[in-house]
Amino acid sequence: MNQSVPDSLFYRKQQAFLLSPDPELAALLQSLWPVEEMEFRVFDKGRRAIEFLFTEPPDLLVVDGRLDDISASDVAGLVKSENVYRQLPVVLCLDAADLQREWDWNRVEVDDFVLRPFSPEEVRARINLTLCRAMRALDANPLSKLPGNTSIIQRIQQLMDQEQDFALAYCDLDYFKSYNDRYGFSRGDEILMMTARLIVNTIKGFAGVQSFVGHVGGDDFVFILPVDKVEEACKRIIAAFDDIVPHFYDPEDRRRGHIRSTDREGNVRTFPLMAVSIAVVLNEQARLKHYGEASAIAMALKKKAKENPKSCYVIDRRKD
Amino acid sequence: MEEDLKTSIRGEVLSVKDLPTLPDVLTEVSKLVEDPDASTEAIAKVISRDQVLSAKVLKMVNSPIYGFPGRISSIQHALVLLGFNVIRGIIISTSVFDMMEQAMKGLWEHSLGCATACTIIAQRAGFEDPEEYAVAGLLHDLGKVVTAVQLPDLHQQIVETVQARDITYFQAEKAVMGFGHDRINAWLARHWGLPANIRESMSRHHAPQLAEFYKPMSCVVHLGDFLIRLFEFGTSGDDQTAFLRPEAMKELGFRMSDLDRIMDSLADQLMEVSDVRF
Repeated sequence: MNQSVPDSLFYRKQQAFLLSPDPELAALLQSLWPVEEMEFRVFDKGRRAIEFLFTEPPDLLVVDGRLDDISASDVAGLVKSENVYRQLPVVLCLDAADLQREWDWNRVEVDDFVLRPFSPEEVRARINLTLCRAMRALDANPLSKLPGNTSIIQRIQQLMDQEQDFALAYCDLDYFKSYNDRYGFSRGDEILMMTARLIVNTIKGFAGVQSFVGHVGGDDFVFILPVDKVEEACKRIIAAFDDIVPHFYDPEDRRRGHIRSTDREGNVRTFPLMAVSIAVVLNEQARLKHYGEASAIAMALKKKAKENPKSCYVIDRRKD
Repeated sequence: MEEDLKTSIRGEVLSVKDLPTLPDVLTEVSKLVEDPDASTEAIAKVISRDQVLSAKVLKMVNSPIYGFPGRISSIQHALVLLGFNVIRGIIISTSVFDMMEQAMKGLWEHSLGCATACTIIAQRAGFEDPEEYAVAGLLHDLGKVVTAVQLPDLHQQIVETVQARDITYFQAEKAVMGFGHDRINAWLARHWGLPANIRESMSRHHAPQLAEFYKPMSCVVHLGDFLIRLFEFGTSGDDQTAFLRPEAMKELGFRMSDLDRIMDSLADQLMEVSDVRF
């Protein structure tokens, strides 16, 4: 029960605050995780903790309903009513009597609660689950629900730290903006949803390999595959995209093969149908140490890929 | 009385959750989706031979959940966008016919033949994406499947009316139900959010001159239906000669010589299709 999760659930040490006057609860929580995995900072008064919550927000906040200077739901409300802190997972500790009354969970915005008398296994499992769920929810792109920036950076850094070989591909769409200007945002969103699905299924089609797809935002996507699979993936994505995207244009635009749209200077211009550009960075023999290096190389490559108005991919083969 | 029948049927049609299909294609597709090396193309090819699976796949990919409703009318595209898991889910949840299988086989062959004819016609007319015309042809009699599944007694009545009065299945539908499968198609296609071109040709294949937005596609399906009946490939519920609307020929810019060419190609391709076991 006390062993750490093999290859921890968390990508780094978690800092947690416990707001509770109950020393037994503090001892219990501190016994459930090794300190290098989760460290609890204990406050026996709620008010004192508020400022620290705002200046050094933790990864997890556990609030005891037995606090005598401020109610647990007020603490939760303070955290959850500010967009900057909203994503911080909050777990309440309640006594059975607290549940005699009906709680308005829309008003008390917490992520979970645990009940006295505490079962150590259950508390541990619930808090682990709460943290994992929060990480997933926080970072998902609101449109595609794919993992966003934080997860992308984490995943890449993790692979680098483990010195694994991998290929990192950045995809974006050429002329997406002019499509948006011509057809409006909701049709632009259709394109992004279609592209997300297309990339995900193409990557998932490589069975039995480690892979990852993320959505940086807008028309920027990222995927990770083994080095020997990436070129085939690029070809498949491009073939499918070029095949499908014309169907998202009105018939007359599709027939013409371009759209007329007003550019940023107010001039009417014609733009080709959308294409996909993919820039691929290979990390072999632990050449790259930091996520920043990979993204810098990728951005330079993307410029190169973008010079071609048609769908294309560029693979960085430098071995330095 | 008739009014009641309409609403009750309409209610039943709109409650169609599960259309069964024939076991052979289902078995073949099930094998393919379990094979990690199977390509999307191979699966698309098999699904394209089955009107119910094709309809289900298009219904799924065009549902609002995916975020691009009514945009996809190609099976191949649908498979790329749905992915293996979802396809597997559709296959698993599809049951097979345990009734009138013999009668249904004829309709399956007729639909597949019509899809083949539509491809050839669309190519001859110089249209892009002939595959989409094939889908429209494949689904043109889906309403008949729905009647057979949902309202077996009425279906039986229609079949008996065809024989007793020597009229087309379409006429018999109107006599028994007050409307034909074209109306059921229209409800179904709307209810399932199928793309507008497929929707209109499904509901207008008996009267392509009335098509408002996608007349060419409706005319292709109309002509495909006519030709495949001429070949007596499969059965669409009667053995009458269908009426060919002259407007369809005009719309497609065809002369009789074009029909000859199309029929030659069709004869060749039906030989291949016939090798597909039902």
